[in-house]
Amino acid sequence: MSKRLQDTAWRALVLLAMGLSLVFLVAPLAVTALLSFDSRTFLGPLPPPSLSFQWYERFFSDPVLLQGLKTSLLLAALVTTVATAAGVAISIVLTSFRFRGRELILSFLLSPLVVPPVVIGFGLLLYLSSIGAVDGFVRLLCGHLILAIPYVVRASVTSLAAVNPIYADAAMSLGASERAAFWTVTLPLARSGIAAGAIFSFAVSMDDVAVSMFLTDSRTYTLPVALVSAMRANFDLTIAAATVVFMAIVAVLMLVIDRTTGITNAFRSTHQR
Amino acid sequence: MVRQDERPIARFALSLPAGAIYFGLFLLPLAVLFIESLRPFEPGFVGGRPDAGFTLENYVGLLSGSFSAALGTTLRIGLLASLASVILALPLAHVCARSSSARLTALLIGLFVLLMFLGVLVRAYALQLTLGAVGPMRPVLLSLGIAPTSRAYIEFVVGAGLLHYILPMSVLTLIGPLRSIHPNLHESAQSLGASAWMAHATITLPLCAPGILTAFLFSFTFSLSAFVIPMILGSGRVNFVSSLVYTRFSEIANYPSGAAISIGLLVLALAIVALLSALARRWTSLRLHV
Repeated sequence: MSKRLQDTAWRALVLLAMGLSLVFLVAPLAVTALLSFDSRTFLGPLPPPSLSFQWYERFFSDPVLLQGLKTSLLLAALVTTVATAAGVAISIVLTSFRFRGRELILSFLLSPLVVPPVVIGFGLLLYLSSIGAVDGFVRLLCGHLILAIPYVVRASVTSLAAVNPIYADAAMSLGASERAAFWTVTLPLARSGIAAGAIFSFAVSMDDVAVSMFLTDSRTYTLPVALVSAMRANFDLTIAAATVVFMAIVAVLMLVIDRTTGITNAFRSTHQR
Repeated sequence: MVRQDERPIARFALSLPAGAIYFGLFLLPLAVLFIESLRPFEPGFVGGRPDAGFTLENYVGLLSGSFSAALGTTLRIGLLASLASVILALPLAHVCARSSSARLTALLIGLFVLLMFLGVLVRAYALQLTLGAVGPMRPVLLSLGIAPTSRAYIEFVVGAGLLHYILPMSVLTLIGPLRSIHPNLHESAQSLGASAWMAHATITLPLCAPGILTAFLFSFTFSLSAFVIPMILGSGRVNFVSSLVYTRFSEIANYPSGAAISIGLLVLALAIVALLSALARRWTSLRLHV
């Protein structure tokens, strides 16, 4: 086979693979969005004969899902605040000083990312029961904190270390105290990475199922846990409506990040596990 | 950042909150989990009895039956999905890294980031709706002679669920390494007579081998500890190791056995991370010596 023919054949194959990958990634979400407007009360073949908002009405009047959504939002906000404060604080220590074992400490701080979430969830359940912490919300807060904080640490260590010390030095040579130089120069320069870490910890808390399944009680449950039990109980397109609402929230969130920090920058520092 | 510091001790105090979180919510729970895995199981008790001494029977129990079956399923489906993800991610990442159209690149990267932000549950549900046994794919499957309730098809759907999560992650991981390869190298190979795909096979792939290994590492460790995807898509028939831990907890309340499975899964995950990152480091250092 001639070189040119070989190249054409490979090119066609690669293009086909890329096309199929993109269809595979997008089509299920499109199908879900379409079915969430289905006017039928059962799951039938596509396309739906007519459209309606019945599943959205059900979602917004379902007390269990709404209660889950409320808990999830409250929990995620609290987790983001605590994880960001504690994570940024330790990252300041790690980037201000050079000391032996610094790399080792950083690897340890990132290690919850490679521990399977069910192991974290089960371990926390056993430990928290043994010390008598049985309140659902407190247990969920504990679980989500340890899930979220490594993302904050990674993002803020990367962004703080990337700030050139020359700027803080310049501020100090112009008379700023060390503390003032940090708060007015270094921290603002690192803010987009820190913001990315905070957004990630919010997203991690909103999405978690594996850890939360161990830590919920009958009164306190998150939206994903409520959705999972609804999925197990019966096949109901209310969840498709919930999914579309969730997709819309994420899309809006992404637009906001894109406007403030640039999506690729926000992502670069945080996506790696 | 800051060189001379008047009160370094005060600055070190900033690490205390995070230190307390890691100690209380990470190290202690893992230690409690390990101790629990050494307790004998007595039916009727929730958890092992603290006064009953220690035993290795929970670990011996891992050798038989459900654990090895679940481990086999996890490794098989996880390995296939991770390989597929790296292979399919390469051309997509190459387009993102090299395309002359900034708009196309931004669109693709935006799509992959959106997918990552959607999380696991939403996407597992979307796949269940699309590919599941009662979904709109049913007539297509039946006309192709595929039984939508067969174990082989359910395993395929679980693999597809893993792939849907790890493919965007792999693409985003590979963009950086591909961008760092100088395009001149590829052109030189071609001007010396290599065909385009030959130049990719002999220049591009070896140069981004550490990146490929990293993408594979992320994919495989994710698959190994996957919980939601097999739970939603596995229809109760395809069980991963994580599902087993949850069943030991929620259905039969055999905490010591669940703890032993957890420790086994943890050791396996850490071993794979250590092995693959050592390999990636070696690869990088080899390249530097050439």
